[in-house]
Amino acid sequence: MLHRLNPSLKLAGLIIITTGILIYPSWRFSGLLLLLTILGFKISNVPLDVSKRRIRFLVAFSALLFAFQVLMTANGTILFFIIPKYDSMGPFLPVTDFGVEKGFGMSLRFLLVVFSSMLFVSVTDPTLLAHSFTRFRIPYRYSFALVIALRFLPLFDMENKTVRMAQRSRGISISVRGMSRILRTIRYTFFPLLISALSRVDALSLSMDGRGFGYSKTRTYFRKSSWTALDSAALVLLLALLLTSILLTLGFLPQISAII
Amino acid sequence: MLEVHDVSFSYDNEKLILDSVNLQVRRGEIAMITGPTGSGKSTLALVLAGFIPRVIEGAFTGSFLIDGKNVEKDLISEIARKVALVQQDPESQISTLLVCDEVAFGPENYSVAPSDIEKRVEVALNAVGSSHLANRPTYALSGGEKQRVTIASMLAGKPDFLLLDEPSASLDPKGIQQLQKVLLGFKNNGYGILCIEHRLATILSIADRVLRLSKGRISKWSGKTSSIMTTPVEHFRRPDSAEPLLVAKGVSYCYGTISAVRDVALSVYPGEIVALMGDNGSGKSTLINLLAGLLHSTDGTTYLDGVPSIEMTAQEVAARVAVVFQNPNHQIFERTVQREQHLVFDVLDSLGKIPSERPDEVLLAAGLAELKERNPFSLSHGQKRRLNVSSVTVHEPLVYLFDEPFIGQDEVGRNFITQTIRKRSESGGAAILVTHDSAVATNLCSRIIFMERGSVLLDGPPKIVLNRLGEMGYGEYSVLGVMS
Repeated sequence: MLHRLNPSLKLAGLIIITTGILIYPSWRFSGLLLLLTILGFKISNVPLDVSKRRIRFLVAFSALLFAFQVLMTANGTILFFIIPKYDSMGPFLPVTDFGVEKGFGMSLRFLLVVFSSMLFVSVTDPTLLAHSFTRFRIPYRYSFALVIALRFLPLFDMENKTVRMAQRSRGISISVRGMSRILRTIRYTFFPLLISALSRVDALSLSMDGRGFGYSKTRTYFRKSSWTALDSAALVLLLALLLTSILLTLGFLPQISAII
Repeated sequence: MLEVHDVSFSYDNEKLILDSVNLQVRRGEIAMITGPTGSGKSTLALVLAGFIPRVIEGAFTGSFLIDGKNVEKDLISEIARKVALVQQDPESQISTLLVCDEVAFGPENYSVAPSDIEKRVEVALNAVGSSHLANRPTYALSGGEKQRVTIASMLAGKPDFLLLDEPSASLDPKGIQQLQKVLLGFKNNGYGILCIEHRLATILSIADRVLRLSKGRISKWSGKTSSIMTTPVEHFRRPDSAEPLLVAKGVSYCYGTISAVRDVALSVYPGEIVALMGDNGSGKSTLINLLAGLLHSTDGTTYLDGVPSIEMTAQEVAARVAVVFQNPNHQIFERTVQREQHLVFDVLDSLGKIPSERPDEVLLAAGLAELKERNPFSLSHGQKRRLNVSSVTVHEPLVYLFDEPFIGQDEVGRNFITQTIRKRSESGGAAILVTHDSAVATNLCSRIIFMERGSVLLDGPPKIVLNRLGEMGYGEYSVLGVMS
């Protein structure tokens, strides 16, 4: 369902969510938004495959952030010690309530930013996103840069693999012995890829000019997204969210900040 | 009618690339321009499409008329409505993420209404037989599909004239046949078509008129063709006691879920020159990389000189094989031609037996000695290719694996590469070439391995394999390629 929303709105949503938790970094607030994000995955039918390596790495990393924060924070009410008292030694490494709160805050913030970005990428068509920028008076020349960059990324990835193979066939291996060696091998990857990319520039610009790119200040779009009532409603909700986070930080809503 | 009168052009005001060229292209005809590589054919295409002198700088004289009107003062975007240029490399011309967006790109720029754009996209994709590709992402297209999409995207702007620069460069024989059908269709619909090809056989059968461009001057094609090599190799007799240089056992490779090579087993013996052939996408390049020990197979093993390639370090691989890839830019690493040639000495320690004059001798044989101090990336395509070959064969490793070495090569380059290959096979090494060209296979190679969808379909002496291919529905491979 999220697929149907205007791409610029989705970008605004991502920015507002990230900004919101920066302004008001409460862990409960981040947790609530994270739940909403996961809900977003469900209603858009985007699979969030927990068995995938990437997801497990992210969750593991957030647990690491949690542990790190807890260990580094010693103030607040002590809940327990990680290394208990033994004879006359210890106890060491206190775990405090404040530390646990900060820990949750950090790890949930991390998960929220990562998952909301993943959701954004899954439900947004980059071409439609680039085209929607014209609504904001951004010249199409610049928004096309986004499309072209995304179009050539898979190609550069493939070329990188070919250059690596070419290096191996010449006996060049990425060696870790000494800085000068590392710099040399970086140069052996950088220059062929750079030249290959630059060699495409002429042909690409002739191809685009040859199809009239730049003929006039405006152009039509074969596939374009529109702005619907649903988008306006969503924008209102997002702005309300932003406003709420600002008010919470400034302390204007004491009843709500007691809960969140 | 598209005409140029008395056009001369030079990029640097010194070397004249085009010299008083006169040319007309009429609607409803297919004209063809042929000539040796580097003769200025691409430059002429740029003039006819209006890019020279509007976008590309240089010394330009002469007149350019479309339908009798001098278009000197017209902008490129105005000329582009009438004349469309399809360049050689489809990959570098695609600028969007979906096929339908790519084809719609032209009309969008001219502010055509979206409903009309939809019709144009449909018509254009239909005309190249690619309607089923409309919603495909552009990175997931094969070489032939990319080229058809590029042609469709030019067509959508509804030009009157279509110029194609070396259209067969990225195509296999089947793709060439499809291209011929498409171009004939366009001709019958009233388009004026100009094809630039140095491989005559690909377009000759459908061309109404053939002209030759040589050293900047245009002339009528004399009808004479030169084949690339005239001495077919004798039937190869392998000494019975020879150990294979290269062995593959049950080798497979997958790109994600796509199986590129399936269960291939083969052995290559000293003295053999093998042509590795097959349609685009049949796994030839992947197999070459597996045989050279550059890719590790998902199943099975490759042995280089008796040692499993998976256990080898990069230096051990380089000491045994010489690999030349399709794109010369991917395998140039040094700042000057000289250093590139000597790179093998920096990298391999075991080269005491090679005299230090060898690299420069080979460079001379490749015709690159005067370019010693130049940056290798600044060389022409053909020169880069020769540098690729000369820099990897300096230490005469056992097996040469070349991926399409003759594409875009002039006679000097072809001769150098052919001699290099022959020398290696005569002195007990072996060579494997990926090629589409049956003439190369017959005249230079002692064996053809033909691949289909990742497996070896046929493996044997060239004449026998080519005959069998004709019987099995691959008749397009039996047509010998000819050069101009």
